[in-house]
Amino acid sequence: MSKHRVSRRQFLNYTLTGVGGFMAAGMLMPMVRFAVDPVLKASASGDFIPTPQKISEITEEPTRVDFSFEQKDAWYTSEVTNTAWVYKDENGEIVALSPVCKHLGCVVDWNTDKANQNRFYCPCHGGLYEKDGTNVPGTPPIAKLDVYPTQEKDGFLLLGKAKPREEA
Amino acid sequence: MKWVSQDMDMFLGAKEYVDTAVLPLFPVSFGNDIKQSVAMTEFIQLLTIPLERQFKGRMIMLPGHSYLKNKSKEKLLEEVIVWEKELFDNGFKHVFFVTSDSMWKSIEGELKGGLIWLPSIPLAAMDEGARNNILEDQVKQLLQLFMQKWQEDV
Repeated sequence: MSKHRVSRRQFLNYTLTGVGGFMAAGMLMPMVRFAVDPVLKASASGDFIPTPQKISEITEEPTRVDFSFEQKDAWYTSEVTNTAWVYKDENGEIVALSPVCKHLGCVVDWNTDKANQNRFYCPCHGGLYEKDGTNVPGTPPIAKLDVYPTQEKDGFLLLGKAKPREEA
Repeated sequence: MKWVSQDMDMFLGAKEYVDTAVLPLFPVSFGNDIKQSVAMTEFIQLLTIPLERQFKGRMIMLPGHSYLKNKSKEKLLEEVIVWEKELFDNGFKHVFFVTSDSMWKSIEGELKGGLIWLPSIPLAAMDEGARNNILEDQVKQLLQLFMQKWQEDV
């Protein structure tokens, strides 16, 4: 037996506070959940997508990395394949460039134009970019190629959403 | 560019850069060759997606021309020539037809635009990985063809 005797009044007080507290929590929790929901959503959209490219196999020569993910267009979900040109710069940092030409959106290729070695070439209107994605003056594009933010996980490369760069 | 409103804004803003129109030709039949005509249509539809993505800034991918297979060759040719005329009149320098239907191959000479005929591959029976690889290969060859045609004119 406990030494502390609980009177009838105290017992009722405790139970009422307890039950009342549960009920209040039941009402408040969903409200709080709704209020902070936008914050939770925002963190989910900054997802990094895994690619089949091993970090250790990235060289100084830009290589094509294809990665696919699911894209939702209203109610229609489809598997989309994206491409990135990935290489290591002089400092050993990984650079992942978007292959979409900043002119009219064609897909650029590395080192395919014989007159322009070691540059990205756009077959549509002859746009050229240096290895770091800078547009060559005198060709149609007016901005640098977009870059993907990169991450590493278990030795594999993860890519985020391509971002445009500021004008140099 | 695709035939969607978002791309049309881009087209209207950069018309001088878009000199190529591609019209896919889709056979439709309800006879014995129903499955074959479906396979041809399906294959070309799948193929045009990566093709458009690659050359977004220079070509406009039209929604495609479906025709009934039981119509006579002459009738079908007539229709396509109307298309062709309309496209050339609207300032396109290059007009291409993409199809799997070998019937067009026999009347290729009558067309002013280029005809790209690709035998259809039974994609329905393949899993996604194999399908993507095969499509990619086909598209690569197509890209070469387009780039060649463009270079001939420079």
